[in-house]
Amino acid sequence: MEQIIFYILAAVAVIGTVLAISEKHPVHAILYLVTSLFAVAVVFYLLMAPLVAVFEVILYAGAIMVLFLFVIMMLDLGHPEKGFSPHWREWLPALLLSLVSIASLVMVIVSRHSQLAVPAAQSIPIREVSRRLFQGHGVAVELISLQLLFALVGALYLGKQQASSPGLPPSSAPERVSGSEEKSP
Amino acid sequence: MEFYLAFILLFPLAGGLCNTLFARLLPRRLSEAVACGAIWASFICALLVFFNFTGPLKVEYASWLTAFDFQAPVTLYLDQLSLSLALMITFVCGLIHLYSIGYMKGDPALARYFALLNIFVFAMLVLVLAENLPLLYLGWEGVGFCSYALIGFWYQEEKNATAGRKAFIVTRIGDIAFGIAMVWMYRLFGTVSITQLNSMASLVPAGIVTGLGILLLIGATGKSAQLPLSVWLPDAMAGPTPVSAQIHAATMVTAGVYLLARMFPLIGASEAVRAAIAVIGGVTAFYAATCACAQRDLKRILAYSTISQIGYMVLGVGAGALTAATFHLLTHAFFKALLFLGAGCVITVLHHQQDIYRMGGLKSRFPAIYWPFLAGALCLAGFPGSGGFFSKDAILGAVFARGGALYGSLFALGLFTALLTAFYTFRMLFVVFHGEADNSRPLSPSSGEWHSHLPPVMTVTLIPLALFGLLGGILDLPEYLGASAFLSGFLGPIPGFAGLVQAVPGDEVSLQIIAAATSIVGLGLAWSRYTGDRRAASLAMEEAGSPRSDFFLYGWYLDHLYHLLLIRPFEWLSRFLWKRIDESGIDGSLDGLARFTARLGGVPAGWSSGRVVTSLFGLAGGVCVVLAYLAWRVLG
Amino acid sequence: MIVPLEHILILAALLFFLGLGGLLAWRTNLIMMLVCIEVMLNAVMLVFVGGSTQWGNADGQIFAIFIMALTSSEVSLALAMVVYLHRRKRTVNTDLFSEMKG
Repeated sequence: MEQIIFYILAAVAVIGTVLAISEKHPVHAILYLVTSLFAVAVVFYLLMAPLVAVFEVILYAGAIMVLFLFVIMMLDLGHPEKGFSPHWREWLPALLLSLVSIASLVMVIVSRHSQLAVPAAQSIPIREVSRRLFQGHGVAVELISLQLLFALVGALYLGKQQASSPGLPPSSAPERVSGSEEKSP
Repeated sequence: MEFYLAFILLFPLAGGLCNTLFARLLPRRLSEAVACGAIWASFICALLVFFNFTGPLKVEYASWLTAFDFQAPVTLYLDQLSLSLALMITFVCGLIHLYSIGYMKGDPALARYFALLNIFVFAMLVLVLAENLPLLYLGWEGVGFCSYALIGFWYQEEKNATAGRKAFIVTRIGDIAFGIAMVWMYRLFGTVSITQLNSMASLVPAGIVTGLGILLLIGATGKSAQLPLSVWLPDAMAGPTPVSAQIHAATMVTAGVYLLARMFPLIGASEAVRAAIAVIGGVTAFYAATCACAQRDLKRILAYSTISQIGYMVLGVGAGALTAATFHLLTHAFFKALLFLGAGCVITVLHHQQDIYRMGGLKSRFPAIYWPFLAGALCLAGFPGSGGFFSKDAILGAVFARGGALYGSLFALGLFTALLTAFYTFRMLFVVFHGEADNSRPLSPSSGEWHSHLPPVMTVTLIPLALFGLLGGILDLPEYLGASAFLSGFLGPIPGFAGLVQAVPGDEVSLQIIAAATSIVGLGLAWSRYTGDRRAASLAMEEAGSPRSDFFLYGWYLDHLYHLLLIRPFEWLSRFLWKRIDESGIDGSLDGLARFTARLGGVPAGWSSGRVVTSLFGLAGGVCVVLAYLAWRVLG
Repeated sequence: MIVPLEHILILAALLFFLGLGGLLAWRTNLIMMLVCIEVMLNAVMLVFVGGSTQWGNADGQIFAIFIMALTSSEVSLALAMVVYLHRRKRTVNTDLFSEMKG
């Protein structure tokens, strides 16, 4: 049962991604991607990682994608007829490289099949994950929080640039930096 | 003694350097004074050396070329031959330098002229005084260079520059042979010292001596304008007339004779070489005399007569009469310099008119030119009693004394040449100086105006030369006249100069009578043809030209022959190498390579466009390659 | 473990290279390039979580969380830059941002 759900979810994720990257309209692409992310989140849940699954939904599908939508709307990019969508001549080398890489990687993965033992699946409780996170990776957590602070400062700085750039029309909307990401660790 | 000897060389060198380095700073007068003073100081040193001379002297001043056992120090060798030549060179060149002051008046490049002239004298003295062959070669090439630079002195005219190049290239052919001979001698004998080489003739087989002799002969023919390398000298008259007098008549062209005489103890050991030398000399003398009979350019007549006279000297060397050859060399230097300087005066008063058919009647207008010129003509024609008569006759006598079919026919040829010589000499004299003065047509902007004010220095310098030419016979009078042969006694001790087969006095007297008769017959022929009533008819006929006279006028078409045989194929080959090999082959492939690499470099250059997607493609391509390699490893 | 690890890896590889292909193709729109980068990062997270489950080790999940935090900071900064660039050039076409040409 779970296996069937996994394959369905995998198909949804792949199809959602394909549609996301081939869609001309950015808003639609974001929405397809949210679908794909939901599917992946459920896969995480099936893989007995509920914490990651929840964060995936809250952060990825919630905050980051919303941020994308905000920017798209703010810059008024939601008009595919005005932008340049990729020509088939640009798709061709990209797809060629991707297909060769996928084929090679799949070949490598499949050939190692027998070497991997399949132990009994066991759940890792969230408490255990949290302990490992803050006890074993304390410094990393601090670094990540510092990096988020830098991102905040950098985004603010970039947003204030219009004053010091003569010749540029003043931006109508203030720079939008979501403060919600800081809560994530 | 060593001191004076060195200063013979150093004065001209210093003068030349002074004029080279400070030419722009010196006033004109000082430049002239430095040049002339240097030569005359050199002449005084030569005189001092002469009066202190006791015997052959070898002085080593410095080391020059030294490599392993190869030694070519700066060593001067002073013996009677080199001393007499050094005296002659400094004296004649000193007079010509003085003359040049008048001739080159108003020329803007005076300093260059005098610098080259001084350096030429230095190189010529090095050539004469050198003790070893490399040093001699240094002087040899030095005179060649100065000759080249002075022939093309007025280089703005294409014709002059071409003549200079021609002289340089043709003499270079002879120089190569000389260079080969030098290296070969070093291989054979392990030394390049002339005095040592001259004592080694018996050490090698006759065939090798013959080879060496032929090579040296080729070198001498190049420098002395003998057949077959004679073609450069007539063209060399493109230079200023004093240059022609100094380099192409009096001194440099006799260098070949000097070389042969100097090396005679070595190469004279081979009978074949002597015969070859004699034949070349005799034939050249005849060839040039025939050509001189048909020339219409005053300086070209003198050029061909120079070739002819040097032919006599070479003939004398071939006959073993080194003293006679040297004697003729000395007297020739005086009278030929005199003739050239006289011709220079004529050319100056006629504003560079050189065509003798446009001259005439100068005798009464310019007696100061006419009388010295007449003296020179008498010497050249071998008129009895003049210097040229005794010296030329000494050579002919020596040839006759050798006997045999070869030397007998050479003697006959020489005698006939003497007749031709007298004829063309007096043809020139009569056509230029006799006849109607109206015939003279100067080349000048205001045509018809004669240059009546000749600088006095130009005519004054002719007088001592005329005296030396006429009285040069005193140097070596034949014994039957009861005088002591000074030059024979002086040169006698040099190896190779003595031991000559002397003609029987009775024969000698009859020979001299024949020679005198020949000369007078030639004079008479010219007199009957170019003076009086028949003058106009003869000149008109000659000016009209005929195939036969053209043959002589163009020097037996020797230039055309060389052009056809050598220059045309060479030009074809050069054009082939240039167009096909160089431009299409080498340049083409290199250009192609350059284009290819440029295009190759353009490929990665296109990647550095600064566009993000290019970097991303590089990244993705790298990932793809790594993964493909892994897959290949897994499958394999 | 519900499915073999290989299947999860193959799914991740598919997602990753789809993202890479999109990244290469969407050179005309910077926003879409960022979206494709998200897809790729998501695929990487999938690999981490799959490994974590396979061997019962919590580190995989922890690193997935780290990736998420990094992604959020990267996206906020990158989108700020997009806004800045768009303000300068009125476009989001990356082919026109070639000032870093050497």
